[in-house]
Amino acid sequence: MAGKSAATPSTYSPSPAPKTKRPIFQDVDWVRPDGRGFHQCRPAFLKTGAVNAASGSAYAEFGNTKVIVSVFGPRESKKAMAYSGTGRLNCNVSYTTFAMPIRGQGSDHKGYSSMLHKALEGAIIVESFPKTTVDVFALVLESGGSDLPVVISCASLALADAGIMMYDLVASVSVSCLGKNLVIDPILEEESYQDGSLLITCMPSRNEVTQLTVNGEWSTPRVHEAMQICLEACSKLAKIIRSCLKETASAPKD
Amino acid sequence: MTSHSQPSVLWQRRSTRRYNPFLGFFSDYHLGLFVGLSLFYSLEVVLGNKTLKKMVSANVSGDLSSEMEVDAFRRLFPLRYHERFLLDSIRPDARPLGRARDTSLALGAVASADGSALAKIGCTTMLAAVKMEVMTPPKESPDEGSIAIEFYMPPICSPLVRPGRPAEEAPVVSKQLSDTILSSGMINLKELSLVSGKAAWMAYLDIYCLDADGSLFDAALLAAVAAFSHLRIPVVSLNEEGRVVVVSEENEEGKSEKEPVNKGKRKLTLSSLPFSLTCILHKNYILADPTAEEESIMETLVTVVLDSSGQLVSLYKPGGPVLAYASAVQDCIALTRQRVKELKSILNEAISDMEVD
Repeated sequence: MAGKSAATPSTYSPSPAPKTKRPIFQDVDWVRPDGRGFHQCRPAFLKTGAVNAASGSAYAEFGNTKVIVSVFGPRESKKAMAYSGTGRLNCNVSYTTFAMPIRGQGSDHKGYSSMLHKALEGAIIVESFPKTTVDVFALVLESGGSDLPVVISCASLALADAGIMMYDLVASVSVSCLGKNLVIDPILEEESYQDGSLLITCMPSRNEVTQLTVNGEWSTPRVHEAMQICLEACSKLAKIIRSCLKETASAPKD
Repeated sequence: MTSHSQPSVLWQRRSTRRYNPFLGFFSDYHLGLFVGLSLFYSLEVVLGNKTLKKMVSANVSGDLSSEMEVDAFRRLFPLRYHERFLLDSIRPDARPLGRARDTSLALGAVASADGSALAKIGCTTMLAAVKMEVMTPPKESPDEGSIAIEFYMPPICSPLVRPGRPAEEAPVVSKQLSDTILSSGMINLKELSLVSGKAAWMAYLDIYCLDADGSLFDAALLAAVAAFSHLRIPVVSLNEEGRVVVVSEENEEGKSEKEPVNKGKRKLTLSSLPFSLTCILHKNYILADPTAEEESIMETLVTVVLDSSGQLVSLYKPGGPVLAYASAVQDCIALTRQRVKELKSILNEAISDMEVD
């Protein structure tokens, strides 16, 4: 075949190399690339039942961030696993090769699988599926920034769709610190220039936080401010997730 | 945060799914343990007297006990369950034997790629995307680009695939796809050349299976062809170091001295697009576009690929217990010929929809 030589030649992306820090983010007053306010989230689209082969699934689209989460089980644990009276949760997050602007960058997110696991384990009633495993698999189709919070929120919707018992729905939102401003639900470009980031995953009806990660430089009052903004957005997001579930349940079957 | 009712092109159709709380539960346990031997026999007696129509109506009426019986019968004797439908020339999803499932196509599903498409055949969903990178062409063919095709089955698509343990079908479909696309002559590799001997395009085509419900190759090929139809090659120029760089809009005003290398060559001319149909051969029946369940029960598959002018591109029959006689193969090709017409109009509709937007 003429198209494919034995050894694939090395290739490079023609996209221009990232420039140094854009000065605009240093100012107090600037407009976000997509025209949103600093404390305004992207419009969220959520839908259950994206993958028919799974016990439960959901698709989430926040701006350009597009994610599918499938839930399988409760099913038999792997043979190698030791006996466990409570259920197990197994999470995996992967990226498509074309999710990032440059091909193949998605493999930089190895840590997301364990982050997803930690964000969800506090909310799931593992005693309700003893001796078995629930698998939560996520695929990021396109990365548009704030990928992890979108994956976590989408996973909680997929778990609910699969009928896995939870204490409450889980919603997750992140905030980036850019110069003197806090921007919520940052896009990829904003994330690449950020000085620090904060991510909160919480169960809004119970007022409990399952995960809080803080990266970069933060002063105490700023952390407080960022947490307030995040928690507010989380409770709004949980309402959207809940209404999406209600919509599915009230729609005529078939 | 606001709710958004209009998704991008990616998610328009909700797949229909009958919700049965027991289904997922039973599938991963040993059903035999639950049902027990006595029930096992009584089921057979009861179902033996029922006509086909009653079986179907029981499924719809929602009478839980009879629905459970039909479901149990379907799981215990899948072949007999299907054959009873075949006797009446119909399939459990109410399709005639030769009809493919509803098919939809959306172009431009992923903005981070240069060309992309989402194809859905029944529940089987494929997302294909093309990303263009630059390479130095090999000495043997200095004025030709190249295409690298890869098919993935991530763990989200099926309960049988788990992370770290790739699906068996994935490399098979991958090879089949790259053989078909490269040998069909759809793409002229000379069009992918930028500077003869120095630089040429490498088109990475990656196809992800998002939901696996049979006929994976057909859906993957449709998504791949659609992604190439949607492809817009970025405008590039050579910089001082001899590297190929995208001409961005803001750069264009400032540095107009740099002439783009590939002006006016943003679209590939695609000739003779390949389309395919997979059929199951079972006894004397030919079932077009099988679901995953049908594929798991009746194992003889025949995949026919024709190009848009009706020429045979490839025919693939990977063994199986049923031998394909000439007449059966001809029937498969005739079914594919009909299907190609459908697929062509679906693709053209998707392309014109995109151009309106």
